[in-house]
Amino acid sequence: MKKPEVIVIGGGVTGTVAALTLAEAGASVMLIDEGVNAGSGANAGSLHVQMQSRFMRLYPDQVPNVEAALPFYRMAAEEWVRLDKDLGGIELVRKGGLMLAETEEQLAFLSKKAEREAAQGLSVEILNREALDRIAPWLGLQIIGAELCRDEGKLNPLIANRLLGARAAAVGVRRLAGRVTALRPTPQGIELETAHETLTADKVVVAAAWGAGALVHGFGVSLPTKAEPLHMNITEPGAPVINHLVQHAERSITLKQFSTGQIVIGGGWPATTAGWSAPPTVISGSMLQNVALAAHLAPAISNLRVIRTWAGMNTTIDGASVIGPLPASDRIVMAVPGDAGYTLGPLVGRIAAQLAMGDMGEIDVGRFSPARFAT
Amino acid sequence: MTDNRFTFDGQSVTAKRGQSLAAALTDAGHRTFRTTAKSAERGIFCGMGVCQDCLVSIDGQPNQRACMSLASDGMTVTRQVPFPAFSGTAAKAGAPLTLAPDVLVIGGGAGGLSAGIAAARAGADVVLLDERKVSGGQYYKQAADGVVLDGQQRDGADLVAAAKSAGITILSGVELWGAFDDLLFMAQQGDRAIIARPKTAIVATGAYERPVMVPGWTLPGVMTTGAAQTLWRSYQSLAGKRLAICGSGPLNLQVAVELARGGATIVRLAERAAHPVTRPLQAARMAVSGPALAMKGLKMEWALRRLGGTVRYGSDLIGVAQCGNALAATFQSSDGTRDTIEVDVVCMNAGFEPQNEILRLLGVSMHYDPAMGHLRCHTDDAMQTNIRGLYAVGDCKGLGGAPAACDEGVIAGTHAAAAAGFGDAYDLHSVRRRLTGHRRFQSRLWPLYDIAPRQAADMPSDTIICRCEELTLDDIRTGLDDKPGHAGTLKRATRVGMGRCQGRYCGPVAARMVAETTGKPIENLSFFAPRVPIKPVAISSIFAAEEAVREKT
Repeated sequence: MKKPEVIVIGGGVTGTVAALTLAEAGASVMLIDEGVNAGSGANAGSLHVQMQSRFMRLYPDQVPNVEAALPFYRMAAEEWVRLDKDLGGIELVRKGGLMLAETEEQLAFLSKKAEREAAQGLSVEILNREALDRIAPWLGLQIIGAELCRDEGKLNPLIANRLLGARAAAVGVRRLAGRVTALRPTPQGIELETAHETLTADKVVVAAAWGAGALVHGFGVSLPTKAEPLHMNITEPGAPVINHLVQHAERSITLKQFSTGQIVIGGGWPATTAGWSAPPTVISGSMLQNVALAAHLAPAISNLRVIRTWAGMNTTIDGASVIGPLPASDRIVMAVPGDAGYTLGPLVGRIAAQLAMGDMGEIDVGRFSPARFAT
Repeated sequence: MTDNRFTFDGQSVTAKRGQSLAAALTDAGHRTFRTTAKSAERGIFCGMGVCQDCLVSIDGQPNQRACMSLASDGMTVTRQVPFPAFSGTAAKAGAPLTLAPDVLVIGGGAGGLSAGIAAARAGADVVLLDERKVSGGQYYKQAADGVVLDGQQRDGADLVAAAKSAGITILSGVELWGAFDDLLFMAQQGDRAIIARPKTAIVATGAYERPVMVPGWTLPGVMTTGAAQTLWRSYQSLAGKRLAICGSGPLNLQVAVELARGGATIVRLAERAAHPVTRPLQAARMAVSGPALAMKGLKMEWALRRLGGTVRYGSDLIGVAQCGNALAATFQSSDGTRDTIEVDVVCMNAGFEPQNEILRLLGVSMHYDPAMGHLRCHTDDAMQTNIRGLYAVGDCKGLGGAPAACDEGVIAGTHAAAAAGFGDAYDLHSVRRRLTGHRRFQSRLWPLYDIAPRQAADMPSDTIICRCEELTLDDIRTGLDDKPGHAGTLKRATRVGMGRCQGRYCGPVAARMVAETTGKPIENLSFFAPRVPIKPVAISSIFAAEEAVREKT
């Protein structure tokens, strides 16, 4: 029997895992990536599982979707743990994530949130200051408590991306630099238009993040994928002290320490984008406020110097992932993670690849079907 | 003059007044200032705050550059370890300074001082930010104790004096780290944050030196020629007794003579280019366009030989190795013969890289100059860039030399002042004519040297390319195999350029390697994307800047 020809659109973590899963399942796989505007390439390696307060504040209407998907986030973190072993070390550390409270109101909010998350099977606990002093003595004195989510962690995305890319190449995934501008169904399969050529495939996996909506427009769905350019900062190395992924109950921040000793500060502060082919640029206010907040929460890091900032793209949809074949064509399978796309990427990529190969898999992703966006 | 005493790793060190830590430690025979994550030793390299390799811990505060820190009485200085303990307590800083001058000049060298003087004389309110504690820049290098060694320092002292009497506010020891749209600049001066929103800004940030990348170029004792010159001219410290100087260009000869006069033995001055007598026509053209400077060069060479120095043309450094307390430097002549000499210090300068970070960040248009191997910035006759109100002068635009920087400064300063409502910027004809002469001389000078950057293909694979991340040419080639696309992709694949110097040495090499692999021509976008901070900036300083900006709005 002829090998199915599958083209994966998007070479981030989702597309790469989809491609290598397809190749391992016996497909002939080509992965197309434009290689400019970085999503996974600009990621900072947080493994998010608990509901992010930033997200709850910015997109309150999407919270029910995120909440319902919490077990999926936990599974996604487990998927990364498997990959860490499988790939031979991506500096994954899973000591949990702390969401900090500075006021009683914030702590009360976290307590309620923790209850909802526990109901979805997450390993969460509210810690008082005394308990925090034992595991994070470097926190500012004004922190009165925190929610600890043991499912969370961090990894080195540079290493993960490189090893995943190498694995994909090793199992025969071919890589093409380019941007797919249109998809067309034909009686035999799908035609893909790029700037230079027209390609054909039996199946297509769309792992194009914020670009996915435009690609499948006209296939009976209206996918509201949106690019969200975000800002990150990184310091010079210091002694390894910060074990947890740190967030705040009310304000936008992620803070963690890589195994290089460097501290990465981010958490969704906006950057600007100049379009498809130019890298997103840094806004002064984002850098000032993001880093100042870090100094406020962890004064111990004040004397370290920020040596670099960068901007990357996050993708928002409706809070939940989009996984599975399009209603109008089962030859096109969507693989677009919901919020915290890098965390969800490997799991979403693997499931989408299995679905493309006709394997229903062990996880029911019916709630993530693109059919919910049918027009 | 009173001396200062401090300790370095427990040993007592005496410093002359005004000396940098780097100079005082050099005088005391200390060469290793820090160890890296891979246990390599590092010391002074650039001597001007760029390479971030001379980091020490001062009074428990790590990450301090010895070359930019004043040695003070009672300091406790220790070698920096790879992962220093956090020393911050509460984020505290001095009261922030907010500036809104008519003209903000960034850089206190030949171009910046000249620009500031011209603008102030036209009546504009001028603030000049200088990274160094003593103004004058890299060309005029002023002595910390005010002693004037020669005409070059005297000219610089005159320029600084003129700047002060013109009424310029000079802020020294200021490191600019942020440049944002609409001419918003952020800097730190010690623990004080500075925020500047000028009407016009003149960038005069100069250049830093291009090294000779060979195995061993990161060893303590290997430094740029300019670093050794600063030690001597600013602090009367000799980098070593026996020196080899290599690379290409007139600075190497000048510094060789200065250090020989100071008592050092120049065991070898190795100039990559062939002797000018082998190219009489080019040499004659250079001499005609600048007879005085040509004669000065000849006299310097005679002086060096008289002082016992050896000059070799067509000779290139190919490696440095530790050899007891000394360094074994191996050279190769144009005929292929090799020899190794033992020295205390190897100085290197193989051209210059413009400090164009601010210009690139703000979107100034650039083109690549293959002869010099670096970007050149576009300016109009007024020295204004394509960004309204933003001017650029001197070597940060692409190498042009100090005399040209002075004239460009006068033109930019006059025009910036006029743009801010002071004067009319007429009557610059004589300055423009002089500038044309300087540019002609420069264009005829450099062909006599050999400063085109070396191709990576010609280097041994174990040559360190990225000093900060300790990556060899081989490491970077592996990254190229994966996906060459762009210098940014290569950076993420290998970590090249991710360290404290922010890719200042490896960046141009990475850009050229990607260009070689992809066959794409080099242009502005070939280099690492420009990003804030332009220099590493303390979190506490950002904290203070944020407070100042918040109170303002």
